[in-house]
Parts: sequence; structure tokens; C-alpha cells
Amino acid sequence: MQKSELRTRRLDNMTTHSRVFPEAFVERYSRFIPDFDAFLDAMQRPLRRTFRVNTLKATRQQALDLLTDLKPEPLPWYELGFSLNQGEGLGKRIEHFIGLIYVQEAASMAPPLVLQPLPGERVLDIAAAPGSKTTEMSAMMLNTGIIISNDPSPTRVRGLIGNVDRAGCLNVAVCRMDGTSLGRAVAGTCDRVLVDAPCSSEGTIRKSVKALERWSVTAIERFPSIQKRLILAGYHALKPGGLMVYSTCTVAPEENESVVAHLLKRQPEAEVRAAGLPSLIMRPGLREWGRESFPDAVGRCRRILPQDNDTEPFFLALIRRPA
Amino acid sequence: MNRRVRELSERFGIPREAFDRLAAVEDQETVFVGTPEVMEFDAVRPMRRGIRLARVYPYSLKPTTFGMQVLGGQATRNVIDVSDEQAKLLINGGALSTDVEADNGFVLIRWRGFVVGVGFYKRPVLKSQIPRFRPVE
Repeated sequence: MQKSELRTRRLDNMTTHSRVFPEAFVERYSRFIPDFDAFLDAMQRPLRRTFRVNTLKATRQQALDLLTDLKPEPLPWYELGFSLNQGEGLGKRIEHFIGLIYVQEAASMAPPLVLQPLPGERVLDIAAAPGSKTTEMSAMMLNTGIIISNDPSPTRVRGLIGNVDRAGCLNVAVCRMDGTSLGRAVAGTCDRVLVDAPCSSEGTIRKSVKALERWSVTAIERFPSIQKRLILAGYHALKPGGLMVYSTCTVAPEENESVVAHLLKRQPEAEVRAAGLPSLIMRPGLREWGRESFPDAVGRCRRILPQDNDTEPFFLALIRRPA
Repeated sequence: MNRRVRELSERFGIPREAFDRLAAVEDQETVFVGTPEVMEFDAVRPMRRGIRLARVYPYSLKPTTFGMQVLGGQATRNVIDVSDEQAKLLINGGALSTDVEADNGFVLIRWRGFVVGVGFYKRPVLKSQIPRFRPVE
């Protein structure tokens, strides 16, 4: 296919997508997202239902034996994660009620896997509700040590407690505080910190068209200030030598690379490490956005794109506080 | 071992080792159980430490469904095994008639080897004490 033909076809595709996606969305993200047509196609496909086996309650095999009628297919990059072709009613099954499984989007399982909390450690989950990642980390830590699991919203914290109960997490202290104050209160004491920041949630477009209807650049602009405060609070909570994951389920660079760059500006000694999970395709972080250039280290952040693994988009940065 | 935990361990025949690396505290008529690190955490005042294990009443101790789901797996006494249909009925707040070997009082309801929650048995009626959330089908 000739270059001009390719360009025309690309423009045709973009016109088709423009009927679904706001023009500003297409204009912004076509500037840096590779395989952009594939990205837009993937963003329009409904997400497959996925779940994780909760090893605090059942072994992988025990859970699979109970769910054979659903024909779960393992995620290629996580032995406890599964997807379903027909996941209707999963949340109404006994296995779900008693916490043998936890319904969780596939990409959302990645941040704890990158953070790798160990048994006996002290972990801070600074924006934890509804508790998917807290409960995942609790199982990784074999129900030992402590996870300080926080959310400032009274409504959301109720859901967090409900999920911690259902998953059987004995190693969780649930707090309802402003994340910045909590970071100060536990400064320098945590082995690992997860900052799964509140975000404009562009990733949830695959779950609900309403997310797309709410999308605007103004909505994105609401989040970076809280995200910057949380990443700093999380970093200050780390022990020397401790590890932190900063993650969002959004594409906007203002909420991702810019936030990591802000941390590096304020704490130049912080180290960004390349994160990876076998069989999960991740792309490098951006080096620039608009008029902003990011330090080299920001390129070691990771983007999970929907067309690569059939998940929501996600952003991850693995950060170490030097010893 | 906390005396409330001992009481539960004895009623349900749960080996004491199941509670070995855990700590329990009583706060406002509720017994919470969690790791020692959770119970000793004092940098801030958490809303919740660990899981609610039991509610203390003047003449009885009522185990919680979520506490027993995670710690009742090794129970050997006062456990009633139920079928799929019976489990759904009880999770949805129902009751059933069953003549089994169990003392009157609180019992654990077990489905396919997993504790689904707590019931109250007064031969031959088993009444669900499981908190009701969304219906199970």
C-alpha cells in the first residue's frame, strides 16, 4: 500500500472513530499512542470479564474446580488471573460471596505484581478503595505483616471494608484519612507503597460509554494536583531502600509522566526502575508532552495499552527510594 | 490466647494453632482478629483493624460470618454441611429443617468444604445468620 493511500485510509478510520470519540480525544492521543487505530478499536470493544483467585480462601485448583461451567481462561501473565467469555452473573455466585474469587479488571492486577510485597512487610496503599489491590497484596503477603489501606471517602471506605472482610484479609488496617496526612504520619516506615491514584479514568471507557460522555480536557485537569501530592506523600512514607508503584487507569500524560517528573524534580534522588511482567506487553513512558520534556528516567515508566493485551489502558511507574 | 477466641475455638473444635500468629482485641462488644502488626499499629487511629471475629452479648458470643469464613476452615464441631440449593437459600437469608449432629446454638454452615457463614441451630431448624448483600443465584 502506498504512503498516500495509507494516509487516506487512516483519515477515513479517524473520521469513523470521531463519531464515537470526541475530536479532542482523537487529536490528543493520536499524537503519541502507537497503532492508534488499533487503540481506538480496542477502546470500543467491551472488556472481557476477568477475576482473580483469592488464595487466602482457596487454592487455584479448588476455585477452578468450582467454576468449570464458566470455562475460565488463564491470563498469560498471571497464574491467578482468568478471563471469561460469558461472565454474566459472576458476582452472584457463591464462590464470589465467600471470597474464593475477586472480580477485577486484568490490568488492575498488574500494579501489585510489579510492587511485589513480601510476607511480613509494612505496605501502604494510599488510595485503596474499593480494595482490589489491597486484597491482592494481602494474598501475596500470605496474610502477614500489615497493609495500611486508606481512602478518604466515607462511602468508598465502606466498600473497601466490605471487600477486605469478604477476601479474609487479617493483615489490613483500614484508614479514612487525607493521603498526605497519612503519608506524614507513617513517614520513613513503609517497605512498599502503592499510589493507585484517583484519575480521570479514561480506562473505564471500555466498561461504560458514560465514561466517554463525561470525558473532557477540563476533567483531566482536575487530577494532577492531588496526584502530585499523593506521589510525594507515598515517597515520604517509604523506608530508605523501599519501593513504590505509582499507577493510574488513564492515558493522559498530565496524570502520568508529568506526575512522575514532578516527583523527580522535588526528590531528584528517587530512582525510576523499568517494570516488567513476563508475557504482559508494556510500552515505554513518554519523553515529552506538549511543551514539557521529561527526564530520561521517565522513559522507564510503563504504559499498558488496550490493543496489546485486551485490557483497560494502565500506567505504571516503579520507583525506589535510595538506601 | 484471648478468652473469647478460646471460647470459639472450643465450640467449633478449631485447633488453637489456627490463631497462633494472630492477635485479638475487644472493642465496644466486638472482637477483632488480625496480625500482631495490625493490632499494634498506632501511628494513626485506623477505622478498622483486621476482621470482626465475634460480637459479645451478655450471655453469648456470636461469631461473624466473615471471621468464620477465614478462620473456621479447620472446624470439627458444630458444623453443618449443606447442598448447593441449601447454601443459596441460607445465603439469601432463609432457614431450613435438618436433623444433624450439632449442639443448639451458633453453628458453621459449610458448602463443598468451605465455610459460607454462621447459622443458628435449634433442632431441627437451621436459621441463617449470614449478612445479606446482593442475592446469590
